[in-house]
Amino acid sequence: MHCVREVTDKLYWVGANDHRLTLFENIHPIPKGVSYNSYLLLDKKTVLFDTVDWSACRQLIENMEYLLGDKPLDYLLINHMEPDHGASIEEILLRWPKVKIISNDKAFLLMRQFGFHVDGHELISVKEGDTFSFGDHTVTFVAAPMVHWPEAMVTFDTTNGVLFSADAFGSFIALDGELFADEVNFDRDWLDEARRYLTNIVGKYGPHIQLLLKKAAGILDQIKFVCPLHGPVWRKDLGYFIDKYDKWSRYEPEEKGVLIVYASMYGNTEAAAQCLASKLCEKGVTNVAVYDVSNTHVSYLISEAFKYSHIVLASVTYNLGIYPVMHNFLMDMKALNLQNRTFAVIENGSWAVKSGDLMSAFITDQLKNMTLLNERLSLASSLKEDKATELENLANALVESVNA
Amino acid sequence: MLYQTTPEHEALRAKIRQFAEEEIKPIAFALDQANEFPDEAVKKLGQMGLMGIPYPKEYGGAGLDVQSYAIAVEELARVDGGAGVILSAHVSLGSYPIFAFGTEEQKKKYLVPLAKGEKIGAFGLTEPNAGSDAGGTETTAVDKGDYYLLNGGKIFITNAPKADTYVVFAVTTPDIGTRGISAFIVEKGWKGFDFGDHYDKMGIRSSTTAELIFNDVKVPKENLLGKEGQGFKIAMATLDGGRIGIAAQALGIAQGAYENAVAYAKERIQFGKPIAFQQALSFKIADMATKLRCARFLVYSAAELKEHHEPYAMEAAMAKMYASDIALQVTNDALQIHGGAGFMKGMEVERAYRDAKITTIYEGTNEIQRVVISSAILGKAPKSAGGGGGSAPKKPAPITGVRKKTIFREGDAKEKVEALVAALKKDGYDFTVGIPADTPIAQAERVVSAGKGIGPKENMKLIEDLAHAAGAAIGSSRPVAETLKYVPLNRYVGMSGQKFTGNLYIACGISGAIQHLKGIKDASTIVAINTNAGAPIFKNCDYGIVGDVNEILPLLTEALGTGKKKPAPPMVKIKRPAPPKPEPIGPRYVCGGCGYEYIPEKGDANAEIPAGTTFDKLPEDWVCPECGEGKDQFIQA
Repeated sequence: MHCVREVTDKLYWVGANDHRLTLFENIHPIPKGVSYNSYLLLDKKTVLFDTVDWSACRQLIENMEYLLGDKPLDYLLINHMEPDHGASIEEILLRWPKVKIISNDKAFLLMRQFGFHVDGHELISVKEGDTFSFGDHTVTFVAAPMVHWPEAMVTFDTTNGVLFSADAFGSFIALDGELFADEVNFDRDWLDEARRYLTNIVGKYGPHIQLLLKKAAGILDQIKFVCPLHGPVWRKDLGYFIDKYDKWSRYEPEEKGVLIVYASMYGNTEAAAQCLASKLCEKGVTNVAVYDVSNTHVSYLISEAFKYSHIVLASVTYNLGIYPVMHNFLMDMKALNLQNRTFAVIENGSWAVKSGDLMSAFITDQLKNMTLLNERLSLASSLKEDKATELENLANALVESVNA
Repeated sequence: MLYQTTPEHEALRAKIRQFAEEEIKPIAFALDQANEFPDEAVKKLGQMGLMGIPYPKEYGGAGLDVQSYAIAVEELARVDGGAGVILSAHVSLGSYPIFAFGTEEQKKKYLVPLAKGEKIGAFGLTEPNAGSDAGGTETTAVDKGDYYLLNGGKIFITNAPKADTYVVFAVTTPDIGTRGISAFIVEKGWKGFDFGDHYDKMGIRSSTTAELIFNDVKVPKENLLGKEGQGFKIAMATLDGGRIGIAAQALGIAQGAYENAVAYAKERIQFGKPIAFQQALSFKIADMATKLRCARFLVYSAAELKEHHEPYAMEAAMAKMYASDIALQVTNDALQIHGGAGFMKGMEVERAYRDAKITTIYEGTNEIQRVVISSAILGKAPKSAGGGGGSAPKKPAPITGVRKKTIFREGDAKEKVEALVAALKKDGYDFTVGIPADTPIAQAERVVSAGKGIGPKENMKLIEDLAHAAGAAIGSSRPVAETLKYVPLNRYVGMSGQKFTGNLYIACGISGAIQHLKGIKDASTIVAINTNAGAPIFKNCDYGIVGDVNEILPLLTEALGTGKKKPAPPMVKIKRPAPPKPEPIGPRYVCGGCGYEYIPEKGDANAEIPAGTTFDKLPEDWVCPECGEGKDQFIQA
């Protein structure tokens, strides 16, 4: 049975939702699922904008057959070749052997690498600024390199103002019927997952997102719909989401507040983290989030790190080093290019306390543009009353810095 | 392209030449003899608007170009080398850093009177241990909140003590080399700012040169020039321009000597004809004139580059080096042409011969000029022979961070202790107040701490007395509390024990185990007293005395005062300057083909791009080392 929704006149969402996949890119948990968005335009010529993951291919085909009826599929337009969108290309080519593929040279190269037999079909290679008409609708192409693959591009339909934005402006969470962002409570139910998607998948490429935003700014007044490859379609309040993207890609915090991430083996470091959280709230800084690094997937920590202005890392010493899971979090922050945060450190150890120095060195030497507060809380195995002043000093320094 | 000065330049030259011939030349010999500054002539230069030639009219200058300034120096030096350097030091060294790096307020307050010639400027960089290597600077400026406290001294300062405004370089962050140097504007007459004797020099004797002495000079915060840590950059930028002035001075001295020699050679008859027509001398004159022409082109070209904001550091160094090298040759030949007459006092060529020598020395010796020129051509020397471009591992920083590490070595024990107490008082410690000896370590403003080196338990009396005298609480190292049990366990300082985060920590007989040092790394001031000069504590202290606690502690107690102490006011933490991070040498760029980030500090070893190459300096055919995209696919990070 087909399952489609109309985006706007002659343009249909023909994608599918996935609740069975546990890990997106086989790394990030998606407890609320994800959607693979594909769009079909029924102009004088018919055009499919990107395909879906292999697991959703049957649904895509049913949707297309329903909408196309007797008409052939004339064009397949590929903005992004990553297999969660490109995997069904081969099946489309088999079912509509005369279809012409519109994409760019880098994408064609990737199609061949992934083993899709595109040669033998007419390949139309486009560059930024090229235009192409399907009858009533004329589209133009904008390169979006490294958002987040080198071949990525976005396509803008100048006739109806639809921007096919590839992975940009996407989000985790399956649509489950609600296609448009204005049909859900985005701020309450979607923002955290949208942030987790963006920061973990594209976080490293802030400068390239900025480049794309700059290009988009030129045609902003003409954009009526933003159709990403995951998550809801935007037709209202585009500025809200663009503003979030701008902040994330400039590595500016969304909120003043303190993220406390602790690595605790027997609960002693955890207790210190909790004491600090209470102190902060007592002193009026109530925007505090506390996570256990060992049982929180790092993608959530990265998302929170992009959200808050201040980050406290509390770690035990493990094999004379940083607790491995905490070390992994630090390396992920480095890999995803997080910048412009203020850090503080809590260290614990029972015979040789090393984690504080090592985390501090990582923060100052490996991460970019980070401020590290001088005040550090050092524990020998557990927090006792004799450390009250140190804890107080650390809390005061954080409060002063948050309120600065 | 026609390499010629403009009619305006030549009109200016004529005006200054007339002034120099009329006002300076007649008194030049007397000034030289008496080691005297031409106050009147300098005042007139100011009235003529020549003390601020290259600065905009809005700042009191003449609004002329750099070449005009070079011509002015050249013309003054032509009759008197000393007069030339008065102008050069004033314009290039005293005024330029304020013009280039000053705030609008600083320019209004200091540059305007300098450019108008109402005030004279000078530049204080050189010290006994910091000549060609400014990294050896020992003058310090300590941040005291509202002001910096300046201490130390400068030597060989041109225009001192006549100058009113001094740009002085001092260390604000110790132990990090040139990155810790900052520049300050200091006024004559401020309390604690004195001058040493006026030097008795070989040449340029009409220019005054003196020593600057700073003793607790309070420099207001607003007189910091540029930012903290920018001093070295400011000094180097200033010297780049100053070299044009000195090059012009050398050129002028040589030009004057040459003209005198030609005139003399045409007048002096031997063997029946002017000696100028003896081939030995006519060839000499030809060589002199050629060298002068070369030097003049180098000087004017550097000035022109600077005027047009083109890179000119290498060209200015070439001009300074060449003009001063040939000034020695030309003045030597000119004196030789004069024969015995040239060897007599009162002869201009004799004075020029002496005046010329300094030009190969100051504003960077000509050896340093060759360093500047060759490094502009070759870049930095590779760090390791045959290595893969990796740099040698850096020495780890002391655990307690950047410290002064002043070890008092002069005199006997008493004198060392007095020097220590003086230093502490200078840092703002008031020893008429104190805190109870049992104040918890974590809350104590001061702690006197005992290590195993204290010896038998009865010696703890020395610690108690010192703690009282210093107005401090008592602490210890871990073994003194845990093993020797001289003090309760909650008194030991260290990472696993109590952390001291107050101001003054006096470590007595403590060698400095890592755990202990980590417990005091936030102390504002660390004092070490230990018999072992090699103990790690001395690498982690601000002040140290190598000596026996039995001898030093009683002396220190005495010197700090054993009387009753007033209760200390609430602690004000004396902040230690954080070592500034090195500024990036250029923006990073990200590849649009793969996200690879080009970091100038690292370069690209596989493509033989040396570390320190900025992105714009990469060869056009350079490609991304990860995915092979060209330079055009990169965007600024």
